[in-house]
Amino acid sequence: MIYIVSAENRRRFFNLLTEMHRQRKAVFIDRLRWPLEESAGLEIDCYDSADALYLIEAQADTDAVTASARLLPTTRPHLLSEHFSDLCEEPPPAGANVWEATRFCPAPDTPSGLPRRQALGRMVAGIMETAFLFGVDQVTYVADAALAPMALALGWDARSLGPGRGRGRHKVQAFAARIDGSGLRRVRETFNIREPLIRFVPGDVARAA
Amino acid sequence: MATRKIALDFLDFCEKASEATAIETRFVQTLQSLGYQHIACASHVDPLRPRPGGVSVVNYPTAWLQQYSFGDFARIDPVFFAARALPAPFNWNDYLGKMQLSRAQTRMLAEGASYGLSDGLTIPLRSPDIIPASCSLIAGVDGVDPLSMAETLMIVVYGHGAMHRLLNPGAIAQPVLLPKRERECLALAGTGKSDWVIGEILGVSERTAHNSIERAKKRYGVSNRMQAVIRAMFDGQIIVDDLSG
Repeated sequence: MIYIVSAENRRRFFNLLTEMHRQRKAVFIDRLRWPLEESAGLEIDCYDSADALYLIEAQADTDAVTASARLLPTTRPHLLSEHFSDLCEEPPPAGANVWEATRFCPAPDTPSGLPRRQALGRMVAGIMETAFLFGVDQVTYVADAALAPMALALGWDARSLGPGRGRGRHKVQAFAARIDGSGLRRVRETFNIREPLIRFVPGDVARAA
Repeated sequence: MATRKIALDFLDFCEKASEATAIETRFVQTLQSLGYQHIACASHVDPLRPRPGGVSVVNYPTAWLQQYSFGDFARIDPVFFAARALPAPFNWNDYLGKMQLSRAQTRMLAEGASYGLSDGLTIPLRSPDIIPASCSLIAGVDGVDPLSMAETLMIVVYGHGAMHRLLNPGAIAQPVLLPKRERECLALAGTGKSDWVIGEILGVSERTAHNSIERAKKRYGVSNRMQAVIRAMFDGQIIVDDLSG
């Protein structure tokens, strides 16, 4: 299942959040060699805050984190507006109904190939479910050459925002995906997902339990 | 943000406190309110025999501290070794596994873990009292917000400094500043050179070399030249490079 972690309930999720930042360090810094900051074994950047929305997929019985992603409102500075605006031929979609998805991170021990593609499929289904809940109808994202074709083939209605920059493996490109019911149905069919994946655990109720 | 306020309130408290013990209590409360359960902010000595003037705020389980003290674990504690080698905060899980540990060290870590002392975070601290220090923190069951690392560092570094200041009111009243000649002679003495050789190298008499070192010893209040060399190194008056010939 995929937990929605927001400012309201993040108290309940400190351990999962810490594990998510640890996995991000293992994947983005140790493996992919992205030039990111780390402190005490955690990858945290200036867009990580209590106001970001995190989707953390964890195993129900063990709480082991299997994948995570971050959603940022586009009404404030975000990666596409601050670091990747050159990837867009026209001003990228932004506003109260648009989110930016970043830091999709399958657990470092996820085997490459199908298991990673499935983790992305489940996470995108989770992103779409969450977007419905919050009244968001577009999600933007930046993808590299490895992620872009995978993300386009999920079944959601995604379009590129420009030709991108770089070549070959180093190419990065910006995309916007429409969030609608038929897209979610297609993603669920593609990945054989039969029920909603997201869970929202209120902070206070969980603490009392 | 709430954690930021907690940290700033603690700094404010330190500014106004006149007793180190008041800061000790507040230090533990503040870190516990961030979600840390076990705290050991101290010089790298036996926690049951802290040095006079040394900061020692430790709330590890008493049974473990007794075992730690009995086994003289401060001498082998791998966390201390890592804290002296690493310049920045580190997680035990990230580094202790990479160290070549003796059987006694491995056993010590396992025994500590049986008291819930595992998966810790250690912040190396510069201790002005010559003995190295660090602050180890172990989160409680609910964890600690990963975004509160900055506040954690503020609280630990500032709190340790404030406690040290109150415990050693005269610590920086008279910094020792060695004149150039004394520094040069002491550095050469640190490489094992005799007064005569030092004189030859610096182009002064044997007696001048000898007297310079005697004056440096007197400034530090120590009785032999080895002690003076060590003190001057800790002060940064001479550095390791000066001793490597």
